[in-house]
Amino acid sequence: MSDATLTISPTENVIKPRTEVDGHDPEMLISMRNIWKTYQMGTEAVHALHGVSFDIPRGEYIAIIGPSGSGKSTLMNLIGCLDTPTQGQYWLNGKNVSEMDDDELARIRNQEVGFVFQTFNLLARATALHNVELPLIYGGVSASQRHEMAKTALTAVDLADRVTHKPNELSGGQRQRVAIARALVNHPSILLADEPTGALDSHTSMEIMDLFERLHSEGNTIIVVTHEHDIAARAHRVVSIRDGLIEKDERIR
Amino acid sequence: MIRLVATFEALKVATSSLRANKLRTALTLTGIIVGVTAVIAVVTIIKGLDQTVAQTFSSQGSTVFTVSKSPLIIKSREEFVKFNRRKDLTHEDAEAIARLCPACWRVGIAANAIETVKYADQKAENVQIRGVDPITMFDIDGVSIAVGRIWSESEGASGREICVIGPDMLKNLFADAPADKAVGQELRIDGRPYLVLGVLEPRGSIFGFSRDNVIYIPYSTYQKAYGGRRSLITFIQVPAAEQLEAAQDQVRTIMHNRRHTTPESEDAGFAVETQDVFLNLYGSATSNIYIVTIGVAAISLVVGGIVVMNIMLVSVTERTKEIGIRKAIGARRKDILTQFLIEAVMVTAIGGAIGVGTGFGLAYVISALIGFPLLISVASAVLGVSVSSVVGIVSGLWPAWRAAKLDPIEALRAE
Repeated sequence: MSDATLTISPTENVIKPRTEVDGHDPEMLISMRNIWKTYQMGTEAVHALHGVSFDIPRGEYIAIIGPSGSGKSTLMNLIGCLDTPTQGQYWLNGKNVSEMDDDELARIRNQEVGFVFQTFNLLARATALHNVELPLIYGGVSASQRHEMAKTALTAVDLADRVTHKPNELSGGQRQRVAIARALVNHPSILLADEPTGALDSHTSMEIMDLFERLHSEGNTIIVVTHEHDIAARAHRVVSIRDGLIEKDERIR
Repeated sequence: MIRLVATFEALKVATSSLRANKLRTALTLTGIIVGVTAVIAVVTIIKGLDQTVAQTFSSQGSTVFTVSKSPLIIKSREEFVKFNRRKDLTHEDAEAIARLCPACWRVGIAANAIETVKYADQKAENVQIRGVDPITMFDIDGVSIAVGRIWSESEGASGREICVIGPDMLKNLFADAPADKAVGQELRIDGRPYLVLGVLEPRGSIFGFSRDNVIYIPYSTYQKAYGGRRSLITFIQVPAAEQLEAAQDQVRTIMHNRRHTTPESEDAGFAVETQDVFLNLYGSATSNIYIVTIGVAAISLVVGGIVVMNIMLVSVTERTKEIGIRKAIGARRKDILTQFLIEAVMVTAIGGAIGVGTGFGLAYVISALIGFPLLISVASAVLGVSVSSVVGIVSGLWPAWRAAKLDPIEALRAE
């Protein structure tokens, strides 16, 4: 089935319309087709997303921007496999995740998605090392291998000397770097950051954004969800969401 | 492998969470501890009593039965009046049984009195004075001589004031002197002088009552001192337990003849009994104690379980954010379920283990006070811990399930 018209390609020279297999582009890391998300508010059905379609190739650095209530958080939850669409298809790394059950989604989140949150979401009682090890624990990695991988990830974010510190012994920037190490430790397909600098001062924000840039240059696929234009401007492609639809999808560098 | 690693993580999380909320953990434990303590203490105490009772009665053994005027256990005033009207059992009855019952091996008579005994300026109160005849009664009673001797047959028939004392007498009258110092001494029972011929081997105590606080005297002497009108008890021993029934039947026939009654008579006029009547009474008493204790334990375990469930629900609510984080990074429902279930089971299993400890401790104190052996049973310890673990599973299941099916997005939003 050929359905190339649905593919919104930011620049024709980068992403050419391709032949689709089973309604998606197998070359793409993320392929969303006509995604709807509807919430039932009492008797009223509220559509948070009205048939969103787009592709993200491997290795891209993309920002999803939109005001609050635009549907960008819903889109982020779907991309991160925290939720499934009411209607539509979502392929992540060749797997159709739109029809997966809770446990399969947990598995995908564990293996394919690295989350970075605005409020860091570290376990308060656990050390930096243990926090970073957590995805590996649910991935069933043995203890010795876990320590090794978590230490490598913490070294990659320049926190090799903070492994035994607990979150309340670290600065905001350091906490976010622990969270980034946790997101990266499993070598996921995508690094999904939700307002990653929302709780940080501007100087630290720039450090974190520099880190994202470096991680991108090392080959990671990065998706940043934000409402701040200067943060979005650091990405290579910006998708603007408004009223549950893609308003604009542009390549900026 | 995933399960194993995640389960180990759950164990660590549970431990650190219990440690982080020490007071709460302690309070949660209390209900379970009380329940398990009660069961373990009672089971242990009763097991100790069981052994004591079994040993006590087996010293006479299942080869001994008695014939008496009234049964050992009288259930009502009416019965007491009825039995009291019966003819006394006499020496002649015992002689007739010894002569006419082929299945009977040893036949003896005994009568008891409680007296104050004095030696020099020492005094022992409430001593059991047991008048027996013939000296095979020592064998039937299962007592043996430690030092000195039992009276001879002719001495026994003579009515002389001679006696064999229980080892408590050494303690109470002879200031713990060695047994051979007591032999040959003269003590006074009810004001009459008695010559000590020998000292018995100790038999220990039951329910805090010493079985060594006794003085044996010949029945002829007993009769002289206390009169022949006191009813005596005839003790009959058979060579082996299998002959007990046959011997009892023969004795009943002999006694019916002597009392001019038949098995159909409204009142036979005598009672034939084994020590089983005590064992039966004891058995029904302890089974009631068991039932009450198990009831109390069940109630406290149910209450303890509700406390655990309540605390686990609080814990799940408090840790909603943590659950969200764990789910976001790949914890499955069963990982979260296991984590909270392990926490609940850990609380109750620890409570159970502490309960087993305090239960044995309590049983130890009580057994030391009353004086019976402490029987630590591994089975009851295992049972205590496993029952409380089951309580943990049952009461932890619902909170854990609520945690497991939390929506990760909602959970992450919690603060």
